Amino acid sequence: MPAASAASPRLEAAALIAPGAALLLAAFVLPVLQLLSVSFVAADGSFSLDAYARLISDAFYFGVTARTLRVAALITLITLLLGFPLAYVAARGSPRTALWISVLVITPLLTSVVIRTFGWLVVLGRNGLLAQVLQPLGLVEPGFALMRTETGVVIALAQVLLPFMVLTLIGSIRAVDMRLEEAARTMGAGFGATLARVTIPLSLPGIVGGSLLVFALSISSFITPALVGGPRLPFLAGSIFESATATLDWPFAAAQSALLLLAVLLLFVPVTLLRRERRG
Amino acid sequence: MVSATPRVWRIAAIAVVSAVVIYMLAPLAVVIATSFSASQFLVFPPRGLSLRWYTEVLSSPAYLHAAWTSAWIAVIVTALAVLVGTPAGVALARHHVRGATWWSALFLSPLVLPVVVLGIGLLSVFSKYFGGPSYFAIVIGHLVICLPYVIRTVGAVAVGIDRNAEEAARLMGARWWERYLYVVLPQCRTGILAGGFLAFNISFDDAVVALFLRAPGIETLPLLIYGRLEFSPDPSVAAVSTLLVALTILIVIALERWFGLGRLAH
Amino acid sequence: MTLVRTLPALIALVFAATASAQQTLVINSFGGDYEKTHRELIITPFEKQNNVKVQVTTVYSADTVAQLRAQKERPQFDVVHLSGGLDATAAAEGLLQPIQPGQLSNYKDLYPIAVQNLASGRGPMYHIAVIGLLYSTDKLKPAPASWKDVFEPKLAKHLVWTDVSNQWGMLGFLMVNQVLGGTLDNVNPALDAIKKTLPGATIVSKSPEIQQAFAQSDAWLAPYAQDYAFTLRKAGLPVQFIQPREGAPIAPVTINLVKGRPNTELALKFIDYTLRPEVQAGWANALRYSPVNKQTKLAPEVAAEVTVGEAAMSKLVEIDANQLSARRAAITEAWKRAIAK
Repeated sequence: MPAASAASPRLEAAALIAPGAALLLAAFVLPVLQLLSVSFVAADGSFSLDAYARLISDAFYFGVTARTLRVAALITLITLLLGFPLAYVAARGSPRTALWISVLVITPLLTSVVIRTFGWLVVLGRNGLLAQVLQPLGLVEPGFALMRTETGVVIALAQVLLPFMVLTLIGSIRAVDMRLEEAARTMGAGFGATLARVTIPLSLPGIVGGSLLVFALSISSFITPALVGGPRLPFLAGSIFESATATLDWPFAAAQSALLLLAVLLLFVPVTLLRRERRG
Repeated sequence: MVSATPRVWRIAAIAVVSAVVIYMLAPLAVVIATSFSASQFLVFPPRGLSLRWYTEVLSSPAYLHAAWTSAWIAVIVTALAVLVGTPAGVALARHHVRGATWWSALFLSPLVLPVVVLGIGLLSVFSKYFGGPSYFAIVIGHLVICLPYVIRTVGAVAVGIDRNAEEAARLMGARWWERYLYVVLPQCRTGILAGGFLAFNISFDDAVVALFLRAPGIETLPLLIYGRLEFSPDPSVAAVSTLLVALTILIVIALERWFGLGRLAH
Repeated sequence: MTLVRTLPALIALVFAATASAQQTLVINSFGGDYEKTHRELIITPFEKQNNVKVQVTTVYSADTVAQLRAQKERPQFDVVHLSGGLDATAAAEGLLQPIQPGQLSNYKDLYPIAVQNLASGRGPMYHIAVIGLLYSTDKLKPAPASWKDVFEPKLAKHLVWTDVSNQWGMLGFLMVNQVLGGTLDNVNPALDAIKKTLPGATIVSKSPEIQQAFAQSDAWLAPYAQDYAFTLRKAGLPVQFIQPREGAPIAPVTINLVKGRPNTELALKFIDYTLRPEVQAGWANALRYSPVNKQTKLAPEVAAEVTVGEAAMSKLVEIDANQLSARRAAITEAWKRAIAK
């Protein structure tokens, strides 16, 4: 009797996903495709690769891209080096420690990036906290500021993105069976050796995942590089914003967006495919 | 820690962790501190203490209007995100969906794909076909970036749902929507709640989508702060930021109480 | 398609319901002290007098025009204040509604120069600013006398350039360029000279940053507007303004009517209000902007710090707004490249 009410599970699943899928297709995929189509339009409306040619051949915009990638690489490295110890302590520590570290990491994450960057403006500015600490020590001269420098952007953005690295690493370190570590220790390996030979290699998925995530977020970042870097340090996201809203050069804005999108997809698609293979 | 961790490693760990903790919290601490400054300059440490900036913020029409705008948008976005994201989260977590990996990737993609590209894409579409950005545009943009959070939190809870209860309901003649309403969704409560909190927070705090889709009259609070930072920041910006941080802390506490922060880790 | 169109309207309705039922006028202003004065002198009194709400968006002229362009089908501003000749750009692109002399009660009292462009669809000037050199009286004795003085090598560290996205910065840059022998088509003389002052010199884009530079970063010299020297002195900094001997560009700020908006009458009232003698005096007293209304009464010490009268104004250098419009994008791009690190 009730058999009639059992819609096939496949159909059910499809119905459940449908609204979300429709939304994402209409509000995300389609706009991006439309944007890409704009990138191939010349001033007179005909098909053209001018925007892309300019992006690649123009030394200025090449420099913008190079700077964006360079800073992203640095940030990924820094967040990895700083994040791993924190994640390890959280993963292997007492539940209370883990909780505190989680709170510590998630609270900044859930705070608006504008506010966090604001804090850095005060710290890195001419009479900011950093200058006040370093000047009396004689390490820097008066008027020192990391605002408007690449270093400043790296410091600020690394802090903004650190939670992403830490959260990814915690999950992955937790997944490493503690007994393997213990086994290594009983066999005479020191703490450091155990870390290097057992923990780190086994948490590689998290390391890779976290790095890809931080790198992708870093090259896409707009607010922090714009506020900290200033007009003399253009980054890719800021350049897209300017092309779209100030100079109204839509094809060029679209081309730059395509470049950014391509870079991020290059980071994630191979990994997703690899994961699928492993599962299948 | 594994017992018998050598002393030197413990000390190193404490040192590094402390340094990182300071690094993580310094900007927020600075913002909160400068909000109490008596003078109109943004310096740290603040010169003199006063609550004048809080009074100014709470009585300023610009700040209040922006806060109202952000709140309204966030409420609508949260409602829609929960409505759309809960079924998707349940489906991805439990049912055999054809091409699950790809659907998952699509739904979670706004987490990693550049928000800038979403912003400019929406601006392009809305400028061409809808006459320009509007509240609707921002709601849509926020919905896209908030949806993955709801899907993830609901999915995390949905994996553990008791299948037997569901099967029992089916056998007793419950129709599919009754099954969902009375068996599945109640068990997903915490996931839905957590997803809702996250969605509200993400929408309220967003600055990039709001920046691309801005128009006079549609100014969210983060956008107002961003504008003030560009032009002439005084500690009132710090005061309103502190209030926002306080809101975030409340949300984090709520999340921990009802969902568990550990689950938010990948 | 109907659903798609109705939904935005529905959502807008929700928000509209929570907004007040008063008529609203949407304008732009320039932030900081300027905007504060703007509110005191014009916005708040106007709101009270006419029982309307004035919504102010803080955005500089170039961005305002960019927004108007993007909103062409459905403009969101009623009245826009534009500097740097951007009113010429906006009018040429059909974004502005021409104003007839009869629509402004203060028209007869305005200097001819202030209304000379009404016929071409541009709005009247409501400020006249003069671009010259701001210098620290403590550190620079004697005062600089020529535009070329900014390029003295030992001054590089204490120099503040303003980005050309800011209209005062643009005019200062173009004047320097002219003095060095360049033209609107060839800005390389200025760019090369400016590049030589980097990295010592500072580049700012918003006026409060200039104040910060003088207050905290040991700045001594900045090409900028006459009125700003007064703002800096009010803040306690020993800064004076000087018109270099090669001339000083006139930097008018115009108030314009946006085309295609429903409340033109209210907007015109606002524009008229801005041109009253009392308001003009207010601007001069507060920020030392030169008035455009002949009936403006100024105290002697205020009059000394502004440029009053047709004769004085005719001595200022005028940089052709239409020509600048055509070359603005190219100049901005060249500037961006030159200053990038």
